[in-house]
Amino acid sequence: MKNLVLLFMLCTAVLSAQENYTVSGIIKEAKNGETAFGASVFLKGTSIGSISNEYGFFSITAPKGTYTLVVSYMGFENMSQEITLDQNQKVNFEMEEASTQLDEVIVVAEETERANLKKPEMSVSKLNIRTVKQMPVVLGEVDVIKSLQMLPGVTKNGEGSGGFHVRGGAADQNLVLLDEAIIYNTSHMLGFFSVFNADAIKDIKLYKGGIPARFGGRTSSVLDIRQKDGNSKNFTFTGGLGLISSRLAVEGPMFKDKGSFLIAGRSSYINLFLKAADEKNRLGFYDLNLKTNYKLNANNKLYLSGYFGRDSFRFGESFRSSYGNASGNIRWNHIFNDRLFSNLSLIYSKYDYDLGITDDEFDWISSIKNYNAKYDLKYYASDKFKLDFGASAIYYDFDPGQVRPTSETSPINPLSLDRKKALESGLYINAEHKLTDKLTAQYGVRLSSFSRLGGQAMVDYANNQPVVYNNTLGIYERGTEIGETNYEKDETIKKFSNLEPRASLAYQLNENASVKAGYSRSAQYIHLLSNTTSITPLDVWTTSGKYIKPQISDQFALGYFRNFKDKIYSLEVEAYYKTTDNRIDYIDGSDLIGQNTIETEILHGEARAYGLEFLVRKNEGRFTGWLAYTISKAEQRTLGGIAGGPGINNGNWYNSAFDRTQDLSITGAYELNDKWSFGSNLVFQTGRPVTYPNGQYQYEGQSVASFSDRNSDRLPAYHRLDVSATYKPNRKPNKRWKGEWVFGIYNVYNHKNAASISFTQNEDFGNNEATRTAIFGMVPSVTYNFKF
Amino acid sequence: MKIYFKLTILFLTIVFTSCEDVIDVDVQTGPSRLVIEASLDWEKGTTGNNQTIKLSKSTPYYDTTTNTGVTNASVRVTNDNDNTEFVFTHQGNGEYTTTNFIPVIGQSYTLEVVHEGETYIANETLMPVVDIDGITQSIESGFDEEDLEVNVIFTDPEEQENYYLFKFHKQGDLLPVLEEGDDEFVNGNEITWWFEKEEDDETDKIEAFLPGDTVNIDFFGISESYSNYIGILIEQSWGAGLFSTTPVPLRGNCINTTNADNYAFGYFRLTQVVRTSYTFQ
Repeated sequence: MKNLVLLFMLCTAVLSAQENYTVSGIIKEAKNGETAFGASVFLKGTSIGSISNEYGFFSITAPKGTYTLVVSYMGFENMSQEITLDQNQKVNFEMEEASTQLDEVIVVAEETERANLKKPEMSVSKLNIRTVKQMPVVLGEVDVIKSLQMLPGVTKNGEGSGGFHVRGGAADQNLVLLDEAIIYNTSHMLGFFSVFNADAIKDIKLYKGGIPARFGGRTSSVLDIRQKDGNSKNFTFTGGLGLISSRLAVEGPMFKDKGSFLIAGRSSYINLFLKAADEKNRLGFYDLNLKTNYKLNANNKLYLSGYFGRDSFRFGESFRSSYGNASGNIRWNHIFNDRLFSNLSLIYSKYDYDLGITDDEFDWISSIKNYNAKYDLKYYASDKFKLDFGASAIYYDFDPGQVRPTSETSPINPLSLDRKKALESGLYINAEHKLTDKLTAQYGVRLSSFSRLGGQAMVDYANNQPVVYNNTLGIYERGTEIGETNYEKDETIKKFSNLEPRASLAYQLNENASVKAGYSRSAQYIHLLSNTTSITPLDVWTTSGKYIKPQISDQFALGYFRNFKDKIYSLEVEAYYKTTDNRIDYIDGSDLIGQNTIETEILHGEARAYGLEFLVRKNEGRFTGWLAYTISKAEQRTLGGIAGGPGINNGNWYNSAFDRTQDLSITGAYELNDKWSFGSNLVFQTGRPVTYPNGQYQYEGQSVASFSDRNSDRLPAYHRLDVSATYKPNRKPNKRWKGEWVFGIYNVYNHKNAASISFTQNEDFGNNEATRTAIFGMVPSVTYNFKF
Repeated sequence: MKIYFKLTILFLTIVFTSCEDVIDVDVQTGPSRLVIEASLDWEKGTTGNNQTIKLSKSTPYYDTTTNTGVTNASVRVTNDNDNTEFVFTHQGNGEYTTTNFIPVIGQSYTLEVVHEGETYIANETLMPVVDIDGITQSIESGFDEEDLEVNVIFTDPEEQENYYLFKFHKQGDLLPVLEEGDDEFVNGNEITWWFEKEEDDETDKIEAFLPGDTVNIDFFGISESYSNYIGILIEQSWGAGLFSTTPVPLRGNCINTTNADNYAFGYFRLTQVVRTSYTFQ
């Protein structure tokens, strides 16, 4: 580690030895003052350039001289300015939106959505919120998570499932960040809608591999979602009325032009219909996004943002349940000098659920909270060398479950599962190093560590085996408790440390093509416990510790990137191979609900995934869109290990629940004229692995199914076609009110995609039968969106 | 406790589940195995001398043949304490009976089945059950507030962990309903266990209880390991829905000592049971 730092410093020193000067600044959109993330800034006629960061900041260092500084940001007019570099200087840009002539509508993909040939960054997909909004969606609810599954290597377990799967990974292996706050549950209503309100979001970046060293804690992907800053020029209102929910966002300048704010809310109104229909049941969700920023001076800016979302359900008077995420953070951007940019973030996030049972008079509550401090710095050493470094610490407080009787007469005894506390910290350094004109490298390392903190007792097991293989019966059983060890508050139960190297290389073959290669290692210390087919809001997270080991993943990727026909088309091909150690799987008959000793229900296994991804994009013209195709395999193997015995499925490799052999998605948008535009999605996926019966027998007067090996069958293939049409009524150019109608049909040919297939005995006839549950058939929708 | 989680999830699923239909799905066919249904249930207030053990063979999943009884086996149960042997003799169609079984609470017994040259052994302890304090009916409890349910009231003994099995069989129904519970969250309390039948929205048939309906109730005290077994069996008999636990191959306690891979399905259980019935007013 020390040597590495030394090496970096050496490089930096050598590279900055020439007589160089720096130009830096902030790029914004002129119309609303939003900072522009991913605008490219370069010196005309040279290969010296930079991409603006999340806060719109750029910095370019070049030898003394006179240059033309050009800024290009797709969808906006290029801007340029003559500069004379004889001293360090600041230049800010405000980008004007590209004017489109009435009969010549040109839609251009974001620069950063195209294949980026020079940067070694690979396995990254950036989606602009405008692209997401163009896609047809179920019930007219714009859905960030669903739009991700149109990308290669990303799948979702059909409609009725929260989360998403990246390159054969589980949903809990995705780090989902909303303005840097960790979001533990990404879905409303069990996965039918996502928690992200598109009106509050600026952009979305998904790292499927080659995760930058500044991120840690998850092995599969990072989904980095940034909220809008809020319009700093004018007050604007954005909103929409849909079939399920309606939205309203207000944004505008604040603090005498030194800042701006955004408040966005969304609420479902299913309850109104239920009430009207005299139904006793209730269900609904809402969320609220807040953001504000304040510019202290040219070098200091503060951001405050928050998210609060909740789902609630009530079944008559008997049951009620609610769950949701809440997060808040404060960030301080500080520009030390032209070359050193820093951001300090203090973040709080929480996920909790509760369940109230009226009959038996008790509540069940569970939560996970974390407090996170992060300090990230970027040093633009020279045009050839940039350095990211920083540190982070997360304090976790898990409350896996508490039972609280709500009355004296409740038959339920109070109970508290052990609270779990832990500290996860990370230190990282990463360099982006242009070795030659054609070869750029990115290399770095993250040192992560995790301490499971004391303040509780841990059960001890005979032979240190929480799970034991029963040789006689051929099953895994809970180990024998022989006592417990008490850990004081200031004691650490268990500590882990991991060095996570991350590196990638881009070699530009010619003007239009490049190859890239990458390797990354990542460690994951917290795990979502779920032995059900789909994850549910009631699943709980647990920590690594005395008995549960952290997951360690290694990923190798190789890619070929090419632009065609003046960048109108682009092609990205990537191959990956990924292994994960210590992937948890559950013993047969595991019981996770109200379980204080999770270690007695699990075995540690390993997982591997490999695949080939193709992405062809048309970036410009009336018709834009892409075709993504993935062929892949995801398997796992769970040996008995310390518990003895052969393990799950006799110790053989088996399909992981997220394995999809083939995955094809096509998405397209067509602008007919300035009034009408159309969108369409086509999805085809191999069915997901499931376990079917392989026989039956009579027991207790019923037919009992015997089941085959875990995940050795598959649901039928999933496919559907969606279409949408957007109509913008005639507008007077000066009128502030802008409205549009969006008509959509989800699953046009009404294909009954099996969310699950259930095998039961018919109650009336006694025969065995297979019942398919399909969630959405054809769903038409109408939404009205407005802005003023 | 678990049931509440399941019901909550079930409810959420129902809300969104627009369509369910029966379809043809091909499944694999595993090896045919011996099935041992050795349920020695001692009904409270009887001698418990008459006991039956059923032996059959498993069949492919959609097979409708019922004539699968195993007729050529020898079956006996031994009291592990005094080695008293109870021989079960074949009565036809795979039913083996004895008339001289002596049940002893807390006593362990060994089952031995010899079939086609292979010997299957199982070991289990006879578990007691408390009396039922009362049976009532109500409307407002249960999952649906408009349907009748029957409430079985009993008091859980505080000093040990208890595991229970209920078998509710509405007279006239083809299939019984099994439910399993334990005292993890209710140790030592008076427990009211409700049971109701859900309306099926898909059919017009009235499923819920109506006044005049009679339901047979069997209330068993079972062992922890049988509770684990029957719990999985019950859950899997509901079918594998979207939020169900991934189904697993179910292993009972009958071990093939000749050829371990050719294990038997079923279970050797010894229970005490209260059998009663209730007619709705």
